[in-house]
Amino acid sequence: MKGTVFLKMRHRIQVQPNATVRLGDVAQVIANERMDELRRVPIYTVKKKDRNIVIIDVMHVMKTLLAVVPHVDVQLLGPSQTIVEVVYEKKRWGYLYVPVVWLLLFVGSGLAIMNFHEDVSMQQVQQRLYRVITGKEVVKPLWFQVPYSLGLGLGMILFFNHFFKKRINEEPSPLEVEMFQYQQSLDQYVIMHENKEAMRRMNDDS
Amino acid sequence: MIREFIVAFVGLAGGLAVGSGFVAFLTVLGVIPRLTQLTKTMKWIATYEWGVVLGAVVSSWISLRDPLFSFPPMLASVIGLCSGVFVGMLAAALTEVLNVFPILAKRLGIDEQIVILLMAMVFGKVAGSLFHWIYFVDR
Repeated sequence: MKGTVFLKMRHRIQVQPNATVRLGDVAQVIANERMDELRRVPIYTVKKKDRNIVIIDVMHVMKTLLAVVPHVDVQLLGPSQTIVEVVYEKKRWGYLYVPVVWLLLFVGSGLAIMNFHEDVSMQQVQQRLYRVITGKEVVKPLWFQVPYSLGLGLGMILFFNHFFKKRINEEPSPLEVEMFQYQQSLDQYVIMHENKEAMRRMNDDS
Repeated sequence: MIREFIVAFVGLAGGLAVGSGFVAFLTVLGVIPRLTQLTKTMKWIATYEWGVVLGAVVSSWISLRDPLFSFPPMLASVIGLCSGVFVGMLAAALTEVLNVFPILAKRLGIDEQIVILLMAMVFGKVAGSLFHWIYFVDR
């Protein structure tokens, strides 16, 4: 076969344990002939010891590909590796922790805000502010403090752009951007550290 | 006369330091950009800056001179709500800087329901604050 094969590695795929990863799974392939056959070329078989992340480097794909079709010109586009995530049976027990963590966050943030108020003498400031506004001396200016407390929650929701499930507008919230960046950093890390081809050390036994 | 000048100079220097620190703090937390992004009013950003500056100046004047007005308590409620929203946004921004939620959600494997964790903090803050003002201050 003569011709060109265009290859674009996918960023991240999910497979089942012991699955055979084929070329069509890890990459988008365009060729002028035998395209379907190429897509079925097995690239890697997931083993037990791989745990849950395998990195498939494009060089490994090339090697396999050239063994099948020796005389093609392979054009690589996009990323040079694919993160293969082995999905074992969904861990439902993760949800058991949710109430505990929820309570932890609830109590913890409540305590944190109380400490903050004490720290900055919020009570005194509010008493004084209330006196300035209304001209009356009140020990517990609840007319100020209750809206203040509700506003606290409102401000947090506003910042994260969530009105419970309903969004205020289309843009991603800072939290979603933060999640995305965190995931990107994780991906970057596994690409470097789980990929045996990426690093070569002195006296490496493996 | 010279003494007054020195005092004025020290006051001015202190004010400059505190004022620039305050603005730097607000900038790091990115509350104002967030508000303009939410309301799509980027071109009013200069007005918002003046809002912050005038708010700080007027408030420091009030806290130094201690004037007395006799507005209805309803106005106190409005101001209370505003300051609550502001502090809430500061708190949210701080949590975001510390990257608490992404790590927690990832560990628990509930990436989709991250809003549950967020709500825990929101309700925690509101409940903690109400508890503080209504009950805790009397003890």
